[in-house]
Amino acid sequence: MGRPGLNRRQLLATAGGLTVAGSFGFAALGTGADALASGADTRVRYWNLFSGGDGANMIAMLDAFRKANPGIDVKDSTLQWGNPFYTKLAMAAAGNRAPDLGVMHMGRVTGFSPGRLLDPWDVDLLAKYGVREQDYNPALWKRGVIDGKLYALPLDIHVQLCFYRKDVLKKAGLLGDDGRMIPVTSTDEWFDVLKKAKAAQKKGLQTIGLWTNDQNFQWWFFVAFYTQLGGQWFNDANTEVLFDADKATRVLEFLRRHVTDGYVIPGAPTGEQFINGAPFTWEGNWSVPVFSGAELDYGATPLPPVFGKQATHAESHAFVLPHQSGRGGATNEGAHELAAYVVKHALQWAAGGHIPAYTPTLATAAYKKLTPQNEYVSAMDHQATEPKVWFAGSTGVLAQDLGPVVVSSTMGSAKPAAVARTMKKRLTKLLASKNPMDGRTAAQGGAVV
Amino acid sequence: MTTAETTAHTARTASTVRSKSRKPWTTGQIVLTVIGVAVSAVFVAPIAAALFTSFKSEAEAAEIPPHWLPEVWTVQAWKALWETGNVTNWFVNSLVVSVCVTSVVLAVSALAGYGFARTEFRGKSVLMGIVMSGLMISPAVLGVPLFTTVQQMGMVDTYWGMILPQCAPAAMVYILYKFFQGIPRELEEAAFIDGAGRWRVFFTIVVPLARPSLAAVGIFTFIASWNNFLWPYMVTNNPDLMTMPNGIATVMNSYGIQWAQLMAGGLMAGLPLIVVFVFFQRQIVAGVAHTGLAGQ
Amino acid sequence: MTTSAHMTTSAQTVVAPARARTATATATLRRKQGFQHGGWFVAPFLALFVLFVIWPLLRGVWLSFTDANISGEGASFVGLDNYREALNDSAMWEALGHSAYFTLLVVPCITVLAFLLAMLAHNIERGKWLWRLCFFVPFLLPSTVAANMFQWLFTQGIGLINETFGLDTPWLTDKSYAMLAIVIETLWWTVGFSFLLYLAALQGIPDHLYEAAKLDGANAWHRTVHITLPMLRNITGLVIALQILASLQLFDQAVVMMDFSPGPELSTRSFVQYTLEQGFTSYRVGYASAMSIIFFVIIAVVALARMWLLRNREEGGR
Repeated sequence: MGRPGLNRRQLLATAGGLTVAGSFGFAALGTGADALASGADTRVRYWNLFSGGDGANMIAMLDAFRKANPGIDVKDSTLQWGNPFYTKLAMAAAGNRAPDLGVMHMGRVTGFSPGRLLDPWDVDLLAKYGVREQDYNPALWKRGVIDGKLYALPLDIHVQLCFYRKDVLKKAGLLGDDGRMIPVTSTDEWFDVLKKAKAAQKKGLQTIGLWTNDQNFQWWFFVAFYTQLGGQWFNDANTEVLFDADKATRVLEFLRRHVTDGYVIPGAPTGEQFINGAPFTWEGNWSVPVFSGAELDYGATPLPPVFGKQATHAESHAFVLPHQSGRGGATNEGAHELAAYVVKHALQWAAGGHIPAYTPTLATAAYKKLTPQNEYVSAMDHQATEPKVWFAGSTGVLAQDLGPVVVSSTMGSAKPAAVARTMKKRLTKLLASKNPMDGRTAAQGGAVV
Repeated sequence: MTTAETTAHTARTASTVRSKSRKPWTTGQIVLTVIGVAVSAVFVAPIAAALFTSFKSEAEAAEIPPHWLPEVWTVQAWKALWETGNVTNWFVNSLVVSVCVTSVVLAVSALAGYGFARTEFRGKSVLMGIVMSGLMISPAVLGVPLFTTVQQMGMVDTYWGMILPQCAPAAMVYILYKFFQGIPRELEEAAFIDGAGRWRVFFTIVVPLARPSLAAVGIFTFIASWNNFLWPYMVTNNPDLMTMPNGIATVMNSYGIQWAQLMAGGLMAGLPLIVVFVFFQRQIVAGVAHTGLAGQ
Repeated sequence: MTTSAHMTTSAQTVVAPARARTATATATLRRKQGFQHGGWFVAPFLALFVLFVIWPLLRGVWLSFTDANISGEGASFVGLDNYREALNDSAMWEALGHSAYFTLLVVPCITVLAFLLAMLAHNIERGKWLWRLCFFVPFLLPSTVAANMFQWLFTQGIGLINETFGLDTPWLTDKSYAMLAIVIETLWWTVGFSFLLYLAALQGIPDHLYEAAKLDGANAWHRTVHITLPMLRNITGLVIALQILASLQLFDQAVVMMDFSPGPELSTRSFVQYTLEQGFTSYRVGYASAMSIIFFVIIAVVALARMWLLRNREEGGR
């Protein structure tokens, strides 16, 4: 520690002192490093959970909005999809620091305590910006209505799809004259298709990607096939569990068979496998831009109706107004305007694979030309959704409770029949449990349709 | 692995060149050094892999099978990181939070450590006992009630909400308390006799003597605060307010496809401390060992 | 900082004449006064401590007897219901089991590994700074960054770990490997801290002990077993205690490596993660508080057990 060291130290001490002073200045501002406000009159803070291709599309739509409305400054933030997002949105609303506009999955709205964590939409204001109830599929619009008020403005429907590689299927003789996969109507036919595809595919890859280890995907697939079998969850009053363990067992055995028959490499990254040559993968439609970007020759249909009836798991992204105690004024109107704009300009959004909820968009020639979107747009009419109860919805309590047990069956660590019984037990428990936000059970808060 | 090995190897040769005038190489030393190089390579390899990957294109970073070195070197990940803007915000936030936490902790725990070690007041031993019980409490243990407390104070999504709950570490008070106990009382007594006040004695005699300990506490606090994930994760929802570890995990991590960017972001969060470590190795090692050993 | 060197010398000049002086009655009085009324020194810390440690603890106890939700309004008293439910909640016990299992795997590994690394770095004569840097550097990374790196290294297909060792192990997606992957990541990330403690302790062992043993003809192995290990007993106790407390609080690595999910078939959901899920995902703040209090008791028992062991050993030594 000679003299030069002292000098260096002096310098460091000064720099340190400045940093300390600067930091406390920042902290005193309390608003963060982006406290430098922009020149626009109205600032709309908007939180979403879109990343990847969806994120890029959303940003493009926001940029278009900004250009058209220079008076409104949109401050968008993207958070990690899934529970982290809902946790953060709920905590922000509870802490009264909510953004002006948010995105949620439709199924989560019932449990997100409308009225406490969410504020209702001003339907007249939406109409002023060109979005009306009659522009929507009535069933879809109704999903966002609770106690007579609109809490969720649907943006899209997104579904689980069966992606297939045309190059491999052609070799296996599984393509029809229209260049699409031949239809399948039973489990036997389906496994026959897999067998043929396996014979024609590149070695060392799996035949189908099933997300066997993923509790979300496994749950979504379960919901789809359980609905194909006509399975029910609860009675209309949400007082009784109607879950059919036998039907559930059939679905679980069906999923499991993909593993036991060797069509799946458990844990292998599904998207990468498909891009590298695996003939099938079951994914959400949000994988469309990924596979299109990789310039694959592929198609996508709704999940095959192996139990005789068409049904594929569907959810919707919807705009919501997170609760603010002083909601209103120009910012609130800006939020309405922005949401209406994005809903109406959803063609860009359709490029991300989602089916636009605003029906006038579906009728446009531009949408009808999109492939493979035009191949699965019919999924809109065969939606398999979770029951409308407070514990349902994307990555909600229901999916969290039941998803892992579906995985345990598919992976073989539990027997399908035993898992079906466990599922029924858990559903019974959930139905009796109270929504922590308002202390009501599904039956007490259930008359919401 | 090979690259990491060569890196470590070149570094080693450099160091041996510098110290050639020392003891001769014995068989034992050669064996130990070889083991040392091999183990070091294992330790450095993940960081090296992350660095290389950050210079790949996103497509190459997700290629099956993977490879260590980029086939085409590109700075796209770093550029994208810079352009999306979030990361620079997070960096500033991390700096603000860590600097504030460190300064508050230093000030507050030095005062408290001295107070407990050297002054008398009613109920001191009871208080000391209570503070020591605080060693067992962390955001991991009491996260939910701590969050609701901070929520009630209206500090969710504020810098203060991130900073203040990190500013009451019983451990640091204990370390400084132990140190102050070891300072000979005569030093202070003499000053008192000369008429110096308590505060003057503290600032002109005690604090200078405690510099190594304070440095240790400061360094340790800074590392802990810079790297802290759990508490900032709980208390910030607004992505603009997030710190580096939090932002990278909760915002950048979505979809997990952009590995190159993720690695670049991770390195950006980790590099400042690593660089500081390289320059102040002796002090930091002494500091960490000191804070740790004080628990004995 | 800059003037402190000067301060030290001035302190010494103050001391020297003071020692020479005889202690008068007034001096004694002043001296006594000097050490009195220390409350103000402690006050700032206590204020923070009460606000952010004691108060949340008390609040947690109160909340655990209510059905409070995340919004902070409309909670009602439910007595011991939350505790009753928690003790019967198999998911909570499983989560506790995961944390305990993790602890059981990590603590012995880290202790042995840290000791071996310290012995290595201590005994290589050249390039000490380099070994120290290499072994310690992972500890300087934020937990989430380290976890992201290993998440990527472990991912089947694109990960370099399988590639390098010629494996095809589903590290992150199979319940029999997932926790193991987290343990490996944790070893890499945190062993540096314990390593430094051991290294400091090794450097603190007086050389004359070894020299005396050498004279008595003890070989390197004997010297390690009979001098080094006994001299490191205290530090080993410390390392183990710190690691147990830290490992039981497993959260960061696990959630990041598993993409914020509870892992394949819930196999990596730790106690902390389950508590936060209940509080922040299911919005059951009352229930989560009860689990926090249960966890606090567990941690306290571990900490007290350590103090008790330490005291026993000291008494036994006398």
